[in-house]
Amino acid sequence: MILGDLLGTPVHDDDGVRLGRVADARFVVDGAPHRLMADARLLGLVVSPHSWSSFMGYERNSLTQPWPLPQLLRWRHRGSFFVMWEDIAVLGDRSVRLRPGYTAYSPALDRKGQE
Amino acid sequence: MKRLLGVALGILTAIGGFVDIGDLVTNAVVGSRFGLSLIWVVAVGVVGICVFANMSGRVAAASGRATFEVIRERLGPRAGLANLSASFLINLMTVTAEIGGIALALQLASSVNYLLWIPLAAVAVWLVIWRVKFSIMENVTGLLGLTLIVFAVALFLLKPDWGNLASQAIPAVPAEETGATYWYFAIALFGAAMTPYEVFFFSSGAVEEGWKIKDLIQSRINVLVGFPLGGLLSVAIAGCAAVVLLPAGISVTSLSQVILPVAEGAGKLGLAVVLLGIVAATFGAALETTLSSGYTLAQFFGWSWGKFRAPAQAARFHLAMIICLLVGLGVLATGVDPVLVTEYSVVFSAVALPLTYLPILIVANDPQYMGRHVNGRGVNVVAMIYLVVILVASLAAIPLMIVTGAGA
Repeated sequence: MILGDLLGTPVHDDDGVRLGRVADARFVVDGAPHRLMADARLLGLVVSPHSWSSFMGYERNSLTQPWPLPQLLRWRHRGSFFVMWEDIAVLGDRSVRLRPGYTAYSPALDRKGQE
Repeated sequence: MKRLLGVALGILTAIGGFVDIGDLVTNAVVGSRFGLSLIWVVAVGVVGICVFANMSGRVAAASGRATFEVIRERLGPRAGLANLSASFLINLMTVTAEIGGIALALQLASSVNYLLWIPLAAVAVWLVIWRVKFSIMENVTGLLGLTLIVFAVALFLLKPDWGNLASQAIPAVPAEETGATYWYFAIALFGAAMTPYEVFFFSSGAVEEGWKIKDLIQSRINVLVGFPLGGLLSVAIAGCAAVVLLPAGISVTSLSQVILPVAEGAGKLGLAVVLLGIVAATFGAALETTLSSGYTLAQFFGWSWGKFRAPAQAARFHLAMIICLLVGLGVLATGVDPVLVTEYSVVFSAVALPLTYLPILIVANDPQYMGRHVNGRGVNVVAMIYLVVILVASLAAIPLMIVTGAGA
């Protein structure tokens, strides 16, 4: 399976309730160090209930310029959340299922670009 | 003093580099059919390209990233690839049109059929891209392209009734044209002035020349002075057509008709100068568009790119450009009329424009890339107005193309 197949896959919780689709995957670069860069590790997935089209990066920050683009894009992705890899139970071809009691984090990063 | 010379040179090359085959053909067609009634679109387009080039130049200088690196990063691979495909295909169409333009101008100078000039033109473009330094390439073609000022000279020598010409400049649909064709050509003219390759080239050129924040003032002067003056050249081309061709009932369908008013106004010498200017302008634009096709692909796929690297260090970048030139050659070898390719390419340029404009606008507002050089409030207001204009032009272009039978 490649990451491209995962994008757009429906996401369900443990009871089979549909939560949205996979909009993005988030990595941290903290694996085995190499000369140029360390290996990337999949931290988790961003799930969006309304649309899995591009966020254009507005999910990561709190920018409000140029009005009204950020406001429109955020509205399109309202209710989107981030789940950690540990909270994912099944990563199937047709759907992703989360573990019971998963935690939905905000997809935003702080100003230094950290979770 | 050296600084001043640099600024002067920058402005001159921006003027000479502004006009390409799209501007030549579209302005002449519009002038010959609509007089100066569409000239306001040139002004709208020039302000637009100033806004766009200013933003993408600032993004390139502040973040060190060229347009398609930004698009790939910001839109992600999926939306980015759709974007790349559209932008790349339209750019390829423009490459084809520019090479055809070189060949047509050489045909007019030599009476040798343009089909024979096409391989020569393509090989010359390739050799320059392969061998010549970026700054020399830009300055020489830009300065030679300045000879297109002969259009303005010819307009004066034609001694038109200036009052009548000025009264034509009011937006109005001429009696023998329909509203749909009027707006179709408005979009074509807008697309010709705001061709996306200018921005790929501009932002990649900023990386090629290693711009830093302190060079931004100079680049801003180049853009804000050079492009409007280049726009005046466009107006002169349309003016010549409006004075000579419109009353004669000739609507432009070939390059020889574009230069007809110059021959009438400025004689044989003018004709020689305008042919030199057209060859220089189309050659310069062929270099820019060919490089742009290499830039867009390499930046999207993460290949090493740039003329500042030896070709062996940027092999895929150079190979991609060779293939693009060969595809352009192949299209022209079918005998398709380069003027027709040009007319379509400017309209499709307008269609594809939002794809590159929007990501640049977004990134120009992001302090993570830009630090404190994000868009100011004033720039954002103008940029958002242009986003709407660009979106409307983009969405209306294809329906209007169908309704008007491509402006027939």
